[in-house]
Amino acid sequence: MAKTYDYLFKLLLIGDSGVGKTCILFRFSEDAFNTTFISTIGIDFKIRTIDLDGKKIKLQIWDTAGQERFRTITTAYYRGAMGIMLVYDITNEKSFENIKNWIRNIEENASADVEKMLLGNKCELEEKRQVSKERGEQLAIEYGIKFIETSAKASIRVEEAFFTLARDIKAKMEKKLEASNPPRGGHQIRASEPQKKPTSWLSRCTIL
Amino acid sequence: MDKSGISSVNNSQYDLYLQEIEGIDDYWGPTFRAIFDNNQELEFEKKLNERIKHHDKDIERLCNVYYQGFIESVKELLEVRSQANKLNSQVVSLDKQVHDAAGGITKSSSDLLQARKVQNNIASVIAQLNLCLPVFIIYSKLQKQIADKRYYPALKTLEELEHLHLPHVANYRFSKQLQENIPKYREKIEGASMSDLKDFLENIRKFSPKIGEVAMRHTNEQIASDPTVVGRKKKRNAPQPPGHFSDEDRSAQELIDFSPIYRGLHIAHVLGRSSTFEAYYRTERTKQVRLVLQPPSNMHESEESYRIYIYAVLGFFILEDHVLNTGRGLITRTFLDEMWSMALSKVVTALQTNTAYCTDASLILRIKDLIMLFCTTLRNYGYSVKPLWELVRELRDHYTEVLMQRWVQVFRKILADEDFRPIEVNNQEELNEVLLSFPWEGDLPDDIRYPYVFPFSSMVPKIYREVKEFIYACIKFSEDLNLSQVEVDEMIRKSMNLLLTRTFNGCLTSTLRSPHVNLQEIIQIIIDTGYLEEANIYLDQFISNITGEETRSVTSSLTHGQSALFSVSREDAVRQICEKLKQKLDEFFELENYDWLLVEPNGHASVYISDIIAFLHATFQSFTNIPQEAAQMACKSACDHIAKSLLAMLVNEEIKQISMGALNQLNLDLLQCEQFAASEPVEGLQEGILLTYFEHLREILDLFISWDWPTYFHDYAQETNKYKKVTPEVAIVILEKLKEGDKKTMFTVLKKSERDKKKLLETVLKQLRQLAQIPAGK
Repeated sequence: MAKTYDYLFKLLLIGDSGVGKTCILFRFSEDAFNTTFISTIGIDFKIRTIDLDGKKIKLQIWDTAGQERFRTITTAYYRGAMGIMLVYDITNEKSFENIKNWIRNIEENASADVEKMLLGNKCELEEKRQVSKERGEQLAIEYGIKFIETSAKASIRVEEAFFTLARDIKAKMEKKLEASNPPRGGHQIRASEPQKKPTSWLSRCTIL
Repeated sequence: MDKSGISSVNNSQYDLYLQEIEGIDDYWGPTFRAIFDNNQELEFEKKLNERIKHHDKDIERLCNVYYQGFIESVKELLEVRSQANKLNSQVVSLDKQVHDAAGGITKSSSDLLQARKVQNNIASVIAQLNLCLPVFIIYSKLQKQIADKRYYPALKTLEELEHLHLPHVANYRFSKQLQENIPKYREKIEGASMSDLKDFLENIRKFSPKIGEVAMRHTNEQIASDPTVVGRKKKRNAPQPPGHFSDEDRSAQELIDFSPIYRGLHIAHVLGRSSTFEAYYRTERTKQVRLVLQPPSNMHESEESYRIYIYAVLGFFILEDHVLNTGRGLITRTFLDEMWSMALSKVVTALQTNTAYCTDASLILRIKDLIMLFCTTLRNYGYSVKPLWELVRELRDHYTEVLMQRWVQVFRKILADEDFRPIEVNNQEELNEVLLSFPWEGDLPDDIRYPYVFPFSSMVPKIYREVKEFIYACIKFSEDLNLSQVEVDEMIRKSMNLLLTRTFNGCLTSTLRSPHVNLQEIIQIIIDTGYLEEANIYLDQFISNITGEETRSVTSSLTHGQSALFSVSREDAVRQICEKLKQKLDEFFELENYDWLLVEPNGHASVYISDIIAFLHATFQSFTNIPQEAAQMACKSACDHIAKSLLAMLVNEEIKQISMGALNQLNLDLLQCEQFAASEPVEGLQEGILLTYFEHLREILDLFISWDWPTYFHDYAQETNKYKKVTPEVAIVILEKLKEGDKKTMFTVLKKSERDKKKLLETVLKQLRQLAQIPAGK
């Protein structure tokens, strides 16, 4: 079967419940917005193919449940992720404060070289803002990651966020490929995630 | 002669001579002779002279005297003349007077004469007039009667005139004229009575709706005041009290003057035209009934139009009934019955057609009431109304339909507004509210900690309440319908079942089909339907309480029906879950990245397969509230889908070449799936059932990896065949791909072992092709 893509990037959306992870994903994948709040159960994903520098890149974006009770399920996905979006709600101080906890979570569970990005969502609700843009930037700088304020509802900079993350991952990967072996073609992306062993998969299955 | 005394003797002689002369006029001779004889002559002459002188003197004196007298006479004469003149004038005036007087008398007398004549004439005329007068009196009576439209007496009068009076005055011209006019009058009367009838017909056409209305009101009042009716159910078959009829009649007669009909009938009878009259009346009424039965074109739009229509029809037949009863055979029972049965069918059709358009339940209710009242009133008049009852029954079905339509909207709205999340209550008050609105059988924990979460979503109590509302609405139609409890009960149960199975299920289905509904919502719907089904027993009791019928749900077939109540929706929901899962799985398969010419697998499963398995595990783990049955279905369908997708890839025509390495990789992936299938991802599944979905692929891979063709051909078509699911066709397809895949490497390597291998491959292919030729089952 002809390959429909050059790269597959697995991205993960994490953050407190209600910060708008699903909405960001919905905006990015379907360019739509749904006001009714339905909290995500467990884990879900959407796929969108984007074009970057002439390469077809499939983004498989995992949307995790923010709720505590799904934490065991969601953390299982950290390891496979190549990029992680940390999302907080600018109208919710708590969700911003929790970003630190989420980052700790990433450090514990994800691979060390995972690309991260900080998103301050709901930036259209300026009048309800609790977290200033500067504080967001401050935090991003502290962790050495990029930062964008987005609005899934008003469709502000959502595309940009994903493209930026994808571009960063691509750059990092290509660099790594060049380092390990001379360029030979795009089919070697599997090499970027060789951590998994069959045994680990089986054991994980039984845990789940 | 006076001559002196001497002479006296001579004088006396002389006097004598004088006297003689004087005394005799003409015979004087003797005297004279005498004188002469006596010779006295001279004396005499003297004496005569003296005498003459005396006479002259005497004459003179006399003349003197007479002259005086003459003067006096002239004087007097003059006097006389004037007096004569006077007299003359007097006479003239008198004459005039007399003349005048005479003239008046003459006139009067002639007048009198004339008067006498006239008197005579008058007398004779009176006599004649006395003869004619009765004729004229009668005639004028006739005219008056005609003018008063009292045609029947007029006709009688006409007869009297013709036979009694006119013969007496036959010699008069007018009599002849009258005689000639009599037939004309007859015609005129007939015509007038006909036109009266027309007016009457027009009139009753105008008034019959009013009569209908009054009659309906009477019936209504009667129903209201009838103690037998106020009770549980009224007995419509009970005969109406006789007083009722007169009551109705009076009201009809109050409004309508029937006399034109009776008069017309009398007249027609007298004229011997009864049949014409009858025929005319019947034709006209038949025409009218057609008009009456023509419903207004926009009748379905308002109750008022129905009302007017029904009043008109009712009024018409009340009048006709009255005419039948009082019209002395103007119409017959048969005629009326025929007309009624024609009318009835038309009324039913008209009402049917028009109510069919009606989508307003309350309007249908009002129309029903109207029809019911119509029926009752008609029955009171002895008309049969059976088809109308049928109509009401049909209307009931339509009403239920309309209600369902309405509830479709209600349900849709509920479902559209629903977030399909379990109800969460934060305090006792909210908890009680939910418990009040829905009979939940679940046990509440002793110490409820808030927020407390019910298992069902807010849709459940809402739907429950709406179904109750629907039942109430249904019952409204049965009111006054004179149905038995059993019938009402059955009807409501039937309607409710329909509502839930058809309407609600339909709404649910469209909700489930909506692309935006997610897995979680579908699962909640499945759960909700479960609770609604459980609540059905309460609805059942609810109906029983209303109808007073025994609740039958526990034993009767209804229980079966109810457990299947939402089975359609639930199946649909499960199917949707499977669909959604399949969609997700397809998305995973999009990420499949097989290298079909892989030389050696790296020893672990493809990433996407691992992801799928992890995802499925997570999903079934997350949806803890999914009913087991649904979860099992979903899990089976997922496994089935994965197996089929894998197989589809393997036989995909676009992939021309496959290496053994790729098959080995696929085998690794299949192992992952089989591990998942064996791990009991959902509870309650029959052991090994999930594995069966992968069996086909397993056999194919086993056959190819072990290259165990002798066994395959040996055991082919036998029960014990390890590879009985591998058809020759599939085997050929894969084998061809393998052959293609091998080619590249075989270009350079032409070892003997390779040649043997190739030869074997050809043999197998040939063998397989032969098998493929044999129809299946051999």
